Formats: sequence, C-alpha cells, structure tokens
Amino acid sequence: MSGLRVLVIIPAHDEQESLPATLDELRAVAPGLDLLVVDDGSRDGTAGVARARGVRVLRLPFNLGVGAALQTGFRWAVEHGYDAGVQFDADGQHDPATLEALLEPLRAGRCDVSIGSRYVQRSGYRAPAARRLGMVLFSGLVSAVLRVRITDTTSGFRAYARRVMEVCQHDFPRDFPDAPLLIALGRRGFRMEEVPVRMRARRAGRSFYTLGTSLYYPYKNLLASLMALLQRPAQP
Amino acid sequence: MVFLSRTQVIAAIGAVLLVLYVLDLVRRRKLSEEYSLLWLISTVVVAALGFSTPLLVWVSRELGIVQENSTVFAFGLAFSLAMLLHLSVRLSRLGQENQALARELALLRHDLEESGSGRAPAAAPAADRA
Repeated sequence: MSGLRVLVIIPAHDEQESLPATLDELRAVAPGLDLLVVDDGSRDGTAGVARARGVRVLRLPFNLGVGAALQTGFRWAVEHGYDAGVQFDADGQHDPATLEALLEPLRAGRCDVSIGSRYVQRSGYRAPAARRLGMVLFSGLVSAVLRVRITDTTSGFRAYARRVMEVCQHDFPRDFPDAPLLIALGRRGFRMEEVPVRMRARRAGRSFYTLGTSLYYPYKNLLASLMALLQRPAQP
Repeated sequence: MVFLSRTQVIAAIGAVLLVLYVLDLVRRRKLSEEYSLLWLISTVVVAALGFSTPLLVWVSRELGIVQENSTVFAFGLAFSLAMLLHLSVRLSRLGQENQALARELALLRHDLEESGSGRAPAAAPAADRA
C-alpha cells in the first residue's frame, strides 16, 4: 500500500510571494510526491515562479474560486492515474512535515478522505469569536449527520482517495469546499478521518475568505448543508 | 386570522409556493445557493406581509401607502427590480468571462498549430479556397 501515487494539488491565486518557499519546502520534505499548481486566474507571477521551479502548472483563464481550482486538479489527477490527491495551501499555512501523517489513513485503507484538523489537539490556533461560533455550529452539524467526529470542517489540508476525486471532478462546490461537501461525501458512503496537524501563519498574500464573504458564507453553507441532507444519497 | 382582501391571500400563498419551489431547485442543483439568497429573502418578505395583517397595516402606514394591497405588490416589484439588476451584473461578468475564454482559445489554437510542424496553418487557408 506504500506505492500510492500521490499528487499534491496547490490552488494558488496571486501567491507569487509565498509560493516559492512553499514549493521549495515541499520538494525538500516530501521529495517522492508529485506537485501540481493550479493558478486560479492570478494577475501576478504565480505561474512563472512555479514553472521556474519545474513544477507543473495548470492556468485557469480567470478566477473561478478555490473549489473550482481544486476540481481542476482532481480531474488532472484522475486522468493521469493518481491514487490520491492532497489539497495543499500555497501560502505556507500547511506543514509539509505532516503530509505523511495525513496520508497514513489512506495508505492503511481506513478512510477515503483524510482531514488535517487544527482542533483535534491543541495547536495554538485561536480564531475570532464569530468564526469560532460558526466552526462549532458546522462541526456539530457535520458530526451529527455523519456520526463521525469532524472538528475542523473548514480545513484546506485534506487528502482524497482516487474514488473520491472521480466523483468530485464532476460535482464540487465552486467557492467553499467545506461542511456541505463533507456531508455530501459522507452521504455517498465515503469514510472520513481527522488527523491532528499544526497550522502556521500565512507567509504573504490574501486569504480566499474575505470580509465580503463573511456574511454570505454562513447562509450558503447552512443552506447547502441542509440541501445535501435532502438529496437522495447516490449509490457508491 | 383577518385578511384585508383576497389579493393579499393570493400573494401570500403564491410567495409560499415560490419559496418551496426555490428550495427544491437548490436541492436538485438547478439553482446555485448564490442566486437563491435574493429569491428567498423576497418571497419570505412578501409571504410575511401577506399573512400578517397587523404587520402589513403597520408597514403601509409607515410608508404612507393608503391601499395595503399595494404594499405587498410594491415589495414584490422592488425585489423584482433588484433581481433584474443582479442578473444584469452577473450577465456582464459572464460576458467578460466568455470573452476571456475565447481569447485563451485563440492563443491555444495558435500554439497548437505552430507545434503541428507548421503544416496546419498552411493547410487551413487552402481548405478555405477549395
């Protein structure tokens, strides 16, 4: 099972400042893994700095959102015969040293989606109060529905088995691949497991989650979660 | 419950049916959550005005509207306008994205024809003449 072909998918939007260090660290710490940068309509040199390091880049002609960028990576991974795909932030928040821990449940065949969580153990991460409330709400909702304890629904550090990517390449949320996605995947019969990880401060650049989305985000995710519950679960 | 007129009841029931239909469209992935927001707000407001006569009377008096029925329809019209504007904005963005795709396609086709050992660009005009 150790012969898993793994693709690390790095969605990047205007990340030329932080991407080089992220790629260098990935190369140094996890030399066995293939890297793919999906440039989500960047207006800076994001694609250039990745190509300069010999990393494969898929460029989207305009900004589609982190979910759509990831979906592009899934499609590429499926078409090129990868057994697993890892979602990895370009901004340096994720620690490549924890990649193996994240992939372990997949290698062992224990689950189909492995989620790097900030909250399984104390990791020193403190979010603002409003965001914490949302996290508790969505974590409770997902955990109750799936009967698996998921503490970090917004984690952007996940590993997906090939059969999950095969489904997701056709159907994936364009903007926030969070709670509704986990519910939909759980209802399809995919198993999930959380792995404790450390998250660091971003190196540079802006978060995908901006102020304007902070009002729309709870509405969208709550509605989409409820709708995911009402949808007839597809047979896997 | 006391209703002021039949049109008030019709508007309220119509709004409730619309709420259910919008939710069903979202459930079947025919309507994205993004677009559902304005639809749900508008239909819930119209339904609330239609079913709660005290609320309707109060809102009408505050706005200086003599005929309470007009209030229900005024809100409906206001939301329709907001929806049209929203759609126009979206349509503009879609148009821009569509253009960007076409430009991208032109660049890709050029690269593809160049890499095809230079035969393809020469063959294309010949085919046009024939």
